[in-house]
Amino acid sequence: MQSIINNIMQETLEMWMDMKKNKSIIKSLLSLITYKKTPKAKEFSVPELDEDGDEELKLCDRNGKDKSPEEGNSNSRIKKSIPMSDMKKSKDNKKDKAIPEDIESNLEYIKGQFNYPENKDIIIREFKIARKYRAFIAFIDGMADKATINNFILRPLLRDGYPTDVKDCQLDYILESVIETNQTEKVTDHDDVVYGILMGDTGLYVDGCNYYIVSETKGYEKRGVEKPQNEGIIKGAQEAFNENLRTNITLLRRIIKNSQLTTEFVKIGERSKNLFSITYIKDIVNPAIVDEVKRRLNGINTDFIMGNGMLEQFIEDSSMSLIPTILSTERPDRTAYHITEGRVAIIAEGTPFAIIVPVTIETLFHSPEDMALRWQYGTFVRFIRIIAAFVATLLPGMYIAITNFHQEMMPTELLIAIAKARENVPFPTIIEVLLMEISFELIREAGVRVPGIIGNTIGIIGALIIGQAAVQANLVSPVLIIIVAVTGLGNFAIPDFSLAFGLRIVRVLFIFAGAFLGLYGILLMIVALLVLLVDMKSFGVPYLSTLAPKTRKGFNMIIRYPIWMQEYRPDSINPVDVRRQPKISRRWAKGNPKYKKEDNDE
Amino acid sequence: MNKQGHFGLFETVALITLVIMSKILYTSIPVVVKSTGTASWYEALISCSVTIIFFLIIYQLIKRFPGMDIVEIYEAVLGKVIGKALGFLFTCYVFYYAATSIREFLVMIKSYVLPNTKESIIYISFIGVVVLIVYKGLESLARVSYISFFPILGGLILILIMAYPYYNPDYIKPYMGYGLKNTITTGVLRSSAYQEVLNLFIIIKSIHDRGNVLKAGLISLVISGIMFSVSLLLYVMMFTYLVGSENLSGIFAMSKAIYFSRYFQRVETIFLFPWVVSSLITSAAACYSALYLYCTTFEINNYKPLILPFSFLIYVLAAMPKNVIEFMQVNLAFVRMYSMVFIYGIPILALLVAVITGKRGEKLSAKEN
Repeated sequence: MQSIINNIMQETLEMWMDMKKNKSIIKSLLSLITYKKTPKAKEFSVPELDEDGDEELKLCDRNGKDKSPEEGNSNSRIKKSIPMSDMKKSKDNKKDKAIPEDIESNLEYIKGQFNYPENKDIIIREFKIARKYRAFIAFIDGMADKATINNFILRPLLRDGYPTDVKDCQLDYILESVIETNQTEKVTDHDDVVYGILMGDTGLYVDGCNYYIVSETKGYEKRGVEKPQNEGIIKGAQEAFNENLRTNITLLRRIIKNSQLTTEFVKIGERSKNLFSITYIKDIVNPAIVDEVKRRLNGINTDFIMGNGMLEQFIEDSSMSLIPTILSTERPDRTAYHITEGRVAIIAEGTPFAIIVPVTIETLFHSPEDMALRWQYGTFVRFIRIIAAFVATLLPGMYIAITNFHQEMMPTELLIAIAKARENVPFPTIIEVLLMEISFELIREAGVRVPGIIGNTIGIIGALIIGQAAVQANLVSPVLIIIVAVTGLGNFAIPDFSLAFGLRIVRVLFIFAGAFLGLYGILLMIVALLVLLVDMKSFGVPYLSTLAPKTRKGFNMIIRYPIWMQEYRPDSINPVDVRRQPKISRRWAKGNPKYKKEDNDE
Repeated sequence: MNKQGHFGLFETVALITLVIMSKILYTSIPVVVKSTGTASWYEALISCSVTIIFFLIIYQLIKRFPGMDIVEIYEAVLGKVIGKALGFLFTCYVFYYAATSIREFLVMIKSYVLPNTKESIIYISFIGVVVLIVYKGLESLARVSYISFFPILGGLILILIMAYPYYNPDYIKPYMGYGLKNTITTGVLRSSAYQEVLNLFIIIKSIHDRGNVLKAGLISLVISGIMFSVSLLLYVMMFTYLVGSENLSGIFAMSKAIYFSRYFQRVETIFLFPWVVSSLITSAAACYSALYLYCTTFEINNYKPLILPFSFLIYVLAAMPKNVIEFMQVNLAFVRMYSMVFIYGIPILALLVAVITGKRGEKLSAKEN
């Protein structure tokens, strides 16, 4: 009886297991054909702030009404942004890396970390302080300044008269009374010691201590401050960033003389910890933007970031978009201007560029010269740039569309002229255009790669020779040479390199749209692009916020109004301090002059 | 439905106005001229006024149920089964509307601009962009409408201004058209031409500050009513009511006639811009509304997986009528004329039921208690 019951139980169990198994099979089969919603990460958006700029800022809707915490998301009350150093502390607490108190272990650690003695770059110098206390310094040859090390670290340490009655750790006394460099700090973490040495500083350890002293001894070769290579202007400052982060921040500080200008540092990269700075003016920028920048930078987990170019791709909102959502500039004055607007600048060690976030599309059409010029000229050049962008994007596509689909649009004489010019060309217009576009891109790329003076001239000479030869060989029509040349000029007139690059690719799409469906195709493409653009964001700010969604009228968007009319900072980035200047910024215009006309007459 | 973002008064006005106004560029103008003759310009105003009255009445229903869209209100007033059935009926209607809008536009594109291109290519490319807009959501659609609103309106006004050499005020005589009774009857029936204003009650949850709904509805109706009336007036002044009733697209015919010099002639292709963009917005809005109604009715959380099947069905439905004549007879002469009974009638019926049974929205009841 017992065995029967056991059998039944076992069979039931097996059946149940089979059913479970079958169920999972059914489930897995069903999962193949059913829709699974992919979980989407929440999007960041810049909250609006009360204009009084309290430390604890309320979240408001566009109409100024307070939102309930349920209506807003979790960051419904924005607090002061957490400093990078505090973020670091919380991280550091997790990994307790105490420094051992004997010199042998420390020497072994440093040697191991720097692959000593195979690695000839690392210099480890052992010595005895007052012929009694064992110590060593470590630095990288070429990165550190030897004169500083010899004169202000080693010499004071080895000088006669070092007191022998110092008890416990010698480094406290050394830090206070011996080392003669201006920037010296106690470091209690091995990683920070190694990082300091890698950056060109010198680490000093004395037997019996549980920390190092890292002295600032950077002394590597660097380029001086030179003229901008890509963003040259006629009127305005002529300085550009270089590869040294400290120099770049100094350049910014020299322009913005504000005690609230804050620079925080963050190290990114597992294999090579590159240093990045986050610079902003604390009482202008929306703290949510700063927090978001830090969140994104801290969220990068990679081995090596070469500089701003790579960083941009790690932190941008729309990485699939052809149009950039981050502004990259080599000009300190342009960066400073954006920082005073309420934006954040990120600069990498080793790159002569700053990246600025958040930006809207019109920012990419601005040039630092616009503000230096009188408003009429500034506005004029902006319109030229916008027309240039349209020409660079649409002209070849429109040419194909009109010549292939809408000939009635052209006056008869022009139509005959084009037809005549194309008479001997054996290719359809699309092939002709693609041929010329590819040639033009080849010339451009070759011009960049070919070294020296030849590189500059190859563009013009190449274009002339190839263009002329192509026309004579009846490969392309002369009209098309003009079209491609004007398109190229339009592309060069776009002030932002990345935007110009993106539009070069978009142009190809328009060429195909025009070739297949004429103006109808081009219009479909325009609307498709517009939809993608309105959906894009740059650090939570709608990319087309100049146009939609409707924000407070800006006086420096497309038309560059007189400077005294630009009372507010951009509404789209919701700065803490919205007002740039009072309504009457030119008080002299309302006051009475000291010497009036009547006085003169008298 | 997943969250679709929010937008303000300006975006809402732009979206609704463009959706209503796009008909001016289609076959509506000649059809109205055909039915009301020289009185067509004020027939448009009568239709607009009637729609404003209907809109204000239906708004009372929305006011009784704050925070609810039209399908949820039907369910709250008429019960779950009837509410869902009505929701499904409305889905079908809006779906049909989307398909006919696409067909109407593409018929004209085919005959005027791309006579040699295969219809399916024109359809697929157009529906492809509509799918993209719908995929990006209502907020993007509203923003695109806002950005393109002024260029489209400007383009339309430019056509009307540039055709001024051909205007003859005598062509609008006799002022009474085919008789006042005919004008008023047609005017009331053709209030369906402004039915798109009811989209506001579908997308109400996405509009910042619900008080904007009334404002947006009235502003959109007034702007589109004026534009309809002015376009009809100038169209008749240009072509006379007899010739005018024979064109396929009135405004396109006007733009085609523009001639200033041999360097400024045949510029109708440039006016493709208002035409194509407003058609895309209209079709995308209709597609979105159909999807929204469907998902709300059947309590589906995410509309995005349904976009492709819906777009395929729209393509099939749009391609169904054999020719333009059949399409115009069914759609323009019948549906656009009598759909007002269904479109305005049901919400008004729901309002009546709500008033009789004393039903109100939860929020309002809680407030009163």
